[in-house]
Amino acid sequence: MSLAIFLSQVVPVRQKLYRFAYRLLENEEDAMDVTQDTLMKVWQQQERMTDLQNMEAWCMRIVRNLALDKLKARKYRRSEDLDTASELPAIQQENPHIVAEKQDVMKRVHGIIAGLPEKYRTIIQLRDIDGYSYQEIADILVIELSEVKTNLHRARKVVREQLQKLQVYGV
Amino acid sequence: MEFNKIRELVDRYWDGASTLEEEEELRSFFSMEHPHLPADLKEAQALFGYFAAEADIPMPVFPEIGTLTGQTPATGKTVVRTMVWHHWMKYAAVLLMAIGIGYGARQFTSRHDGVLAERSIAADTYNDPKEAFAATQKALALLSRNLNKGTAQVQKLSYFNEATDKIKAN
Repeated sequence: MSLAIFLSQVVPVRQKLYRFAYRLLENEEDAMDVTQDTLMKVWQQQERMTDLQNMEAWCMRIVRNLALDKLKARKYRRSEDLDTASELPAIQQENPHIVAEKQDVMKRVHGIIAGLPEKYRTIIQLRDIDGYSYQEIADILVIELSEVKTNLHRARKVVREQLQKLQVYGV
Repeated sequence: MEFNKIRELVDRYWDGASTLEEEEELRSFFSMEHPHLPADLKEAQALFGYFAAEADIPMPVFPEIGTLTGQTPATGKTVVRTMVWHHWMKYAAVLLMAIGIGYGARQFTSRHDGVLAERSIAADTYNDPKEAFAATQKALALLSRNLNKGTAQVQKLSYFNEATDKIKAN
């Protein structure tokens, strides 16, 4: 029974878990480790699977906790110098000038997002990149629904101000 | 006309009042090229372009799920088979220890026998107490004689010392 739940509800969200871990850690190997550790943790607590209402949110919560532990343990520092932004997916464009300009915009936006407090950053990523609902975000972060809305509003406000301040415009 | 609607959605987005469907509409709009995009929408274009790129992180090859579920105790322990001769180091260690203990025991026994023999020689020199007394007297007399020889020599030295003192006094 638990194996069936595991295969039908947990394994399909592996990519989402990895993506979430990757965004928190900004490192492929660590993200992979955290994803695998999360799956193992979930499997080891298989007796809880039947009681849980939102399996995906539970898995995401485990990813976040493990990733934050890893960050704390290894004293990671999120790169403020935007070096990692160069690893963003390449934009398929023929004109090298436009490609370079778009990469520059991406780096600057990445810098703004990376500079947000962890809670704001996570909420924005969960909502705007992964497309989670407010309730799902509240379940993942174990906070109130109203807190999700408030923090998201504040986070977007900060991002907008920074975009205007740094004059970051799409190409 | 289209830009007005997008502008409205973007405003709702910045206010944190947009729904998932509206945000999806914005994502879809900004994923396409808009050469004549109004300036006030360009900051949102940059942000949504970033979101689209971030959602497109390349995925690694995940290990087989079987290996994961097989690692837990719930599915049973993995049995590692080893052949008898794989334990040769254990046998060698046991053999070395046995040799060491045997050698040590043998050394101890021989040393113990030697000590006992010495003790028996020292303890059983004489069986008769009278003989032992006579032998002791003889030994002490020899010692006394030799001591007296020494005192005679020391006496001569004292004469010499006295003579020296007299010379010094004059």
